[in-house]
Amino acid sequence: MMLADADNQLSALLLSMPLWPLLGSVLVGVFLATGKLKALSDKAVVGGVGVSALLGVITFFSLMPDTSHDDGHADASSAIRLVADGPVEEPSGHSPKASNGHADASRTHTLFHWISLGLDDQGATRWIDVNYYIDGLTGIMLVVVTVISLLVVIYSTGYMRDHHGHPEVGYERFFAFLGLFVFSMLMLVLAGNFVLLYLGWEAVGLCSYLLIGFYYQKPEAAAAAKKAFLVNRIGDLGFALGIFALYLFLSPVVGPGENPLDYAVAFKYADTLNTMELGGVAAPTLVSLLLLCGALGKSAQFPLYVWLPDAMEGPSPVSALIHAATMVTAGVYMVARCAPIFIQSEVALFVVMVIGLIGAVLAATMAMAQYDMKRILAYSTMSQLAFMFVALGAKAPQAAIFHLYTHAFFKALLFLSAGSVMHAMGNVIDVRLFSGLRRVLPHTYRLMLIGCLALAGFPLLAGFWSKDEIVSTVMHHSPVAGWILLFTAFLTAYYTFRMFFLCFNGEQRFPKEAGDHPHEMPGVMLAPKYLLAIGAVLAGYIGVSFHVSSTAFLGALEPHGMYHGYIENSTIINESHHSGPWLMYLSAAVALAGIGLAWARYGAAPRTEPDQALLGPIWNLWNAKYYVDELFDRVLVRPLRGLGRLFVTTDNNVVDGLITFCAAVPRGIGAALQLTQRGVLQGYALGAVVGVTLLLLFWKWIEPAL
Amino acid sequence: MLLPYVLVGAALFVLGLVGFVTRRNLIVMFLCTELMFQGIIVNLVAFGRYPLRGEPTLDGQIFSMFLLVVAASEAALGLALVVLLYRNKGTLDANAWTTLKDATA
Amino acid sequence: MSGSALILSAAVLLGAVGVYLAMPGSRLSLGRAALVLLLGAGAIMVGSVTRMLEANQQVWFALFAALGLWGAVRVVTHRRPVYSALYFILVVVAVTGMLVMMHAEFLAAAVLTIYAGAILVTYVFVIMLAQQGGDSAYDAHAREPLWGCLTGFLLLAVIANSLMEPATGSAAGAIELPASAAGTVQNVGISLLTTYVVGIELTGVLLLAAMVGAIAIARRRAGEDTAGEVD
Repeated sequence: MMLADADNQLSALLLSMPLWPLLGSVLVGVFLATGKLKALSDKAVVGGVGVSALLGVITFFSLMPDTSHDDGHADASSAIRLVADGPVEEPSGHSPKASNGHADASRTHTLFHWISLGLDDQGATRWIDVNYYIDGLTGIMLVVVTVISLLVVIYSTGYMRDHHGHPEVGYERFFAFLGLFVFSMLMLVLAGNFVLLYLGWEAVGLCSYLLIGFYYQKPEAAAAAKKAFLVNRIGDLGFALGIFALYLFLSPVVGPGENPLDYAVAFKYADTLNTMELGGVAAPTLVSLLLLCGALGKSAQFPLYVWLPDAMEGPSPVSALIHAATMVTAGVYMVARCAPIFIQSEVALFVVMVIGLIGAVLAATMAMAQYDMKRILAYSTMSQLAFMFVALGAKAPQAAIFHLYTHAFFKALLFLSAGSVMHAMGNVIDVRLFSGLRRVLPHTYRLMLIGCLALAGFPLLAGFWSKDEIVSTVMHHSPVAGWILLFTAFLTAYYTFRMFFLCFNGEQRFPKEAGDHPHEMPGVMLAPKYLLAIGAVLAGYIGVSFHVSSTAFLGALEPHGMYHGYIENSTIINESHHSGPWLMYLSAAVALAGIGLAWARYGAAPRTEPDQALLGPIWNLWNAKYYVDELFDRVLVRPLRGLGRLFVTTDNNVVDGLITFCAAVPRGIGAALQLTQRGVLQGYALGAVVGVTLLLLFWKWIEPAL
Repeated sequence: MLLPYVLVGAALFVLGLVGFVTRRNLIVMFLCTELMFQGIIVNLVAFGRYPLRGEPTLDGQIFSMFLLVVAASEAALGLALVVLLYRNKGTLDANAWTTLKDATA
Repeated sequence: MSGSALILSAAVLLGAVGVYLAMPGSRLSLGRAALVLLLGAGAIMVGSVTRMLEANQQVWFALFAALGLWGAVRVVTHRRPVYSALYFILVVVAVTGMLVMMHAEFLAAAVLTIYAGAILVTYVFVIMLAQQGGDSAYDAHAREPLWGCLTGFLLLAVIANSLMEPATGSAAGAIELPASAAGTVQNVGISLLTTYVVGIELTGVLLLAAMVGAIAIARRRAGEDTAGEVD
């Protein structure tokens, strides 16, 4: 009902929200990039992102269900009651019907018609519109995207400077790209149909490419940008095919004037997919798996994750914003958004979960044997995204989104802190080369500690609540998967604090690039990090409801707080179960055990690698990232390169040869005829005489004979 | 009655043509064009005097007079140009003037 | 192909060979053979066509045709430009004679006056101006005489054969000349100043323009004759 009341103001606000960062970006690109106004480029983008952050927060709260009517709690408690009653597997026909009731047209805000698809079978014009689809899921994504973008952009105004405080080369270009990115991401989140989603999807991919390759003079950065772009192409091909397939299947079913690519329409008719198939594959499975391809590429999941560690070649704020907090979560968001479709196919959900499990373990183990601080964080990002995928596969998208939301805060904090370390250490990021930074970088030490604790799932911090939410729902869905996740959570805590101790504990030691006095960063860069740290501590409580109970203190804090009321108001299927306080204790214990073990083995920041000595070849395998890059190189890159060479040779010799031949023929004729052009006047006169003579001969003898 | 005159005219014309094509002296080439004019004058007047159809008219003669004027103008301008060319290259050889040809060939 | 056409073709062929042989710088240099051939060709041609005329005109026509053709051959083949110019006067005189035979008396006078009196004088002046060094190498050698003669006389053969068609042949009969079509000064004057008055005016303009142009082209002060300056 809030929606209905606030509809007009809301749509006006929403309409303008993505345009502010775009405006900033365009201003920078067109007016400010040259001359003395260059110094204003950061302010233009900060202003633009700031306005959209304000609008995002307003939108978020205006979407908040009226808890005085007890909607959220009613839903949540009914869910708990379901658990208590015991049915684990519900018949799949139930939940989509129940939840899809929300997916009505009132969530769609159409701005204008965009592309005409011609007349449909019923004779009505079918339009692809520019429209927004607004529900709780959108709202929470808006907050994540705009708020974190704002903080990172502010941080960047300090980060993208040299030691004397002068802007780096390309300073204004950086901010133009960031503005464009925020615009694209907002379009992705707000999009009300798959075509607009795809537009935002590709636009964030472009911005990611541009920003990874920001230091394009560095060959590694250029190669990493190219790799990210190409790997994403593979996924996006599947994504596009998925959209085509969806259109193909739903086109005959939908009503007059309805576009099957509109979310509202697609979700309304999602259950009709069950009756269709293509080439022996059930329609929901086919569509879901193809859509999943796109999500795997964008969210760096197995097997399309190889670009993410390399993407750390970009500036640290980019790693924080795009490759940790926002863009890489687009895949999770998309699968959650398409939950009404995924829920139709048990196969697809199973695949999602298995891929998530593989990715979680794979990334966690690889992270255990790395030295590059940002790469460790990149693998942890991949691992946490895998957690979200497992939750999606376990029919608990709200848990996935909850983790997405908390993860964005502490992972952005971690990356920005890593950026601070890097800044102080003269761009050295290898944790073997420095240690004992606690006294040198006290602020960063504190912030990093908060971030690491949140990531490790330390009790009462943001990551704890969301990770526990995932583990508990998954445990209910599939105990095997739940235990694997718990093990991965243990590994997470372990490798996170391995990195932390190697960096901040032990004797004080700098690389020579750091200079004599490594220093903390200015306030403009510390303030956003402290705000993020507050988020990393408190963000989880939106998903927690406090009620005093007779159980122990921790048991008093149940998940399914106001966040759930909020998100359940959304399109999402609601199959959330909680396994009770024992799992909460267990996951807390696991986190503490991981941290403790890390303290025991790495607390003194040893110069040698104790794990390598202990695990030997396995550790080396992890260190070499399972040789996946090498495998891809052998299996894919080299054959393709060979094929490319073949094509080049063919093109140069055969195709170009044909063209050259075609060009050579007239040239040869011309060269032959040129011999007759001697420039001698009488020669031309003789030619005229010959012509007249031949004409006369023709008319006199040849033509009459014909 | 027509044929003898016309044939002589044609022979004069062709001789002029042959001369124009084969002689290398610019002045002689010009002279050969005058020779072709003579053939044409004979031709025109013969056709006026012995038309294939209808009465004889004066038109051939009148036309020849215009031709005379054109020939006079042409001789004046042409010879002026010859003098100019001669001043530029110091020769009257037509083969010395091959700038119509593409310079690269 | 009729007999007379064959005879004419033979004459043309003979003439071609003759002119070729008579060309300056001919490698064969058989001047005497050329002379014989050309005389034969001229005789055959003139003889074969003269018979078509009325008896009282035959002698005069043969004379003028022979003179004209001989003069033309010498214009083309003489290796000294001044002689070419002088032989051209012979051609003009022969042509003038033929014009008189066709009752174009005024035109004949005009042609003789303008060509022999004006144009040829200009030519001779220019030759004297430009060729003070005596004989030149480029006058001594014709340029591709074989191809020139071949093509030119092939054209003549084609024209001659075309003229032997019945349509033209039938016009061979005598046509009575009406008094109004005689080329007297009176008739020509009336025609020029009535029917062709616009043409005569335009001709005046043309002559004026040619005069101005010739002066503009040839005007050159002393010490200014550098290469490349055309205007």
